[in-house]
Amino acid sequence: MKMEARDAYLKQAMSQFIDVENREVSVAALHDQQLYELELENIFAKAWLMIGHDSEIPNTGDYVVRLMGEDQVIVARAADGQVHVSLNVCPHRAMHVCLADSGNARVHKCIYHGWAFRPDGSFIGAPVEREQMHGNIKTKEQLGLKKARVQVYGGLIFATWNHDGPDLEEWLGDMKFYFDMLFDRTDKGLEVLGPPQRLTIDANWKTAGEQSACDGFHTLTLHGSVIDIGAMGGESDTEHESAPAMYGINLSGNGHSLRCIPADTSWSLAHGKGDLTPEQRLEAFPPPGITTELLPELKKNMSAEQLHVLAKAPPVVGGMFPNMNILFIYSPLRDGTLGAALVLHTIMPKGPHHFEWTTYYFAERGTPDHVKEMMRAAATHGTGTSGIIEQDDSDTWPHMTEAARGVIGRTETLKYQAILGENRPADWPDKAKVYEGFGKDDAQWEWWLAYHKLMTASA
Amino acid sequence: MSLTVAIQTLTREDERREEVPYGSPVYNSVVGFLIKEARFLDHRQFKQWGDILAEDLEYKAPVRITRRVQGFDDEFGTIGHFDDDYNSMMVRLTRLTTTSNAWSEDPASRTRRFVTNVSVWETENPDEYEVLNYLFLTRNRAESKDYKQLSAERYDRLRMTANGFQLARRSILVDQVVLGMPNFAIFL
Repeated sequence: MKMEARDAYLKQAMSQFIDVENREVSVAALHDQQLYELELENIFAKAWLMIGHDSEIPNTGDYVVRLMGEDQVIVARAADGQVHVSLNVCPHRAMHVCLADSGNARVHKCIYHGWAFRPDGSFIGAPVEREQMHGNIKTKEQLGLKKARVQVYGGLIFATWNHDGPDLEEWLGDMKFYFDMLFDRTDKGLEVLGPPQRLTIDANWKTAGEQSACDGFHTLTLHGSVIDIGAMGGESDTEHESAPAMYGINLSGNGHSLRCIPADTSWSLAHGKGDLTPEQRLEAFPPPGITTELLPELKKNMSAEQLHVLAKAPPVVGGMFPNMNILFIYSPLRDGTLGAALVLHTIMPKGPHHFEWTTYYFAERGTPDHVKEMMRAAATHGTGTSGIIEQDDSDTWPHMTEAARGVIGRTETLKYQAILGENRPADWPDKAKVYEGFGKDDAQWEWWLAYHKLMTASA
Repeated sequence: MSLTVAIQTLTREDERREEVPYGSPVYNSVVGFLIKEARFLDHRQFKQWGDILAEDLEYKAPVRITRRVQGFDDEFGTIGHFDDDYNSMMVRLTRLTTTSNAWSEDPASRTRRFVTNVSVWETENPDEYEVLNYLFLTRNRAESKDYKQLSAERYDRLRMTANGFQLARRSILVDQVVLGMPNFAIFL
């Protein structure tokens, strides 16, 4: 599409798809092929995307191949010790340079004509050097793999094709203050517990994307079975009032979001009622993933304001715009103790009707190995491919996408009209938008506003 | 911690002793067990399936990785699609059998498990056998005209008890790196 036609289309499309005044999104947005192509350009080639963790590639030459939108990239640790992200497309004839999804290589040599690249993406040369098979029109410096911009935060590897856009800190904005409580809270940081689960869901990527922005409400119904068997807290006769922590504090900024569950709710589910101050509870019952041994590090690394949040209502679930879902939740472990499942998902589009759902499991590096194994099992039991919570989600999103195929179905709208409104408690930090109470549509609507903003950024 | 699992820990070839001949009574009873198990699962007889699981069950389906061919035998990760023991499996079965809102399988998938290529070995324990078998699974749901399919190898440890065989260990090596089905709300 020509640039002017594209911009005109986008302006018109966004006003058709998103009714800002009434907080509605057209179901057609889950189906439209033209819109999808523009999402790849305006969202997936512009946003900061989480594509792995530096503990996956500890040694020089280690690499994993990941997706940024529909583009494959090589995520590699180069001789300079840094993580580099390069397009997995040979500049010679567009062959994929890397054919495995992980490994170690000092040289990535294309199997087609032998053009060779370093882990940092730079071009080494083509075979038969004296014949100069890369020609003399372009220099070797010009013939490296296309490089993405990279920032590592809390060990998480973020990349973007937007070389002139905001840096990651600006992109995260006020929400970084809260994300630090999950990703950047201990001396040694997090590590992955293995290569991620990957599967295909026959649904538009935005169905999972918008849900990641603090949709707590669906838990009561869609995940009712998990509540009913007592695996998600609450008392069966009062489940709709008490479980699973429907009242809390939702946070939103730049489309990112987190849902904070009051520590006394978690405490009473695990231990019954008790007269402890928030600080005493933090001591006795650290946030998910923090063991008693790691508590001093947490206290050292967090500010007084952050510790107050952690004691009052730690962030447990949420998302990072546009396509990351976060669950750092308490979970019973195999040995009967209460532990945690630390889970990140990415949602990578595969056409308007499919996406790849990738699931990473984590633990703090300072966790004993046998606890890590139990955390891994607990995370697998609740989330991801066979997770008794998330298998219900993967059943829902395809239905929404299927609904968008109908010419009448796609005239319906997704509605975000249950509004709590910003209402920051007096003792809560003045960071991001704060919604205290029964979790409503506020943060999810903010997700769509961030989507709208990025889609029309060039229009 | 290592991020990958050597295939030997999943195939447990070192635990095999004499191979049990094709068509022998023991061989036949193992095949009979696998057919019965597939029948239980295809017909959602979860109580009966739970009864043939040993209480020291290990039930894993490690994620697969694509490697250069030199690493073909090292293609599995420490994370699995399943990572279960007996108690966690019982929670799954309780959810399916006692609630009326386990939506991922309501309406239920129509599944067929085709179990073939069975090899049986004796082990150090006279009551236990190492069993390798292939699984081909078709899954159809609601009005879909298409099937979700899955092929896998299963490395099983079966234990003879007074009530017949029980499944003590299962390592499921799926052939897909990126699964084509949206969940394992079913058992393999």
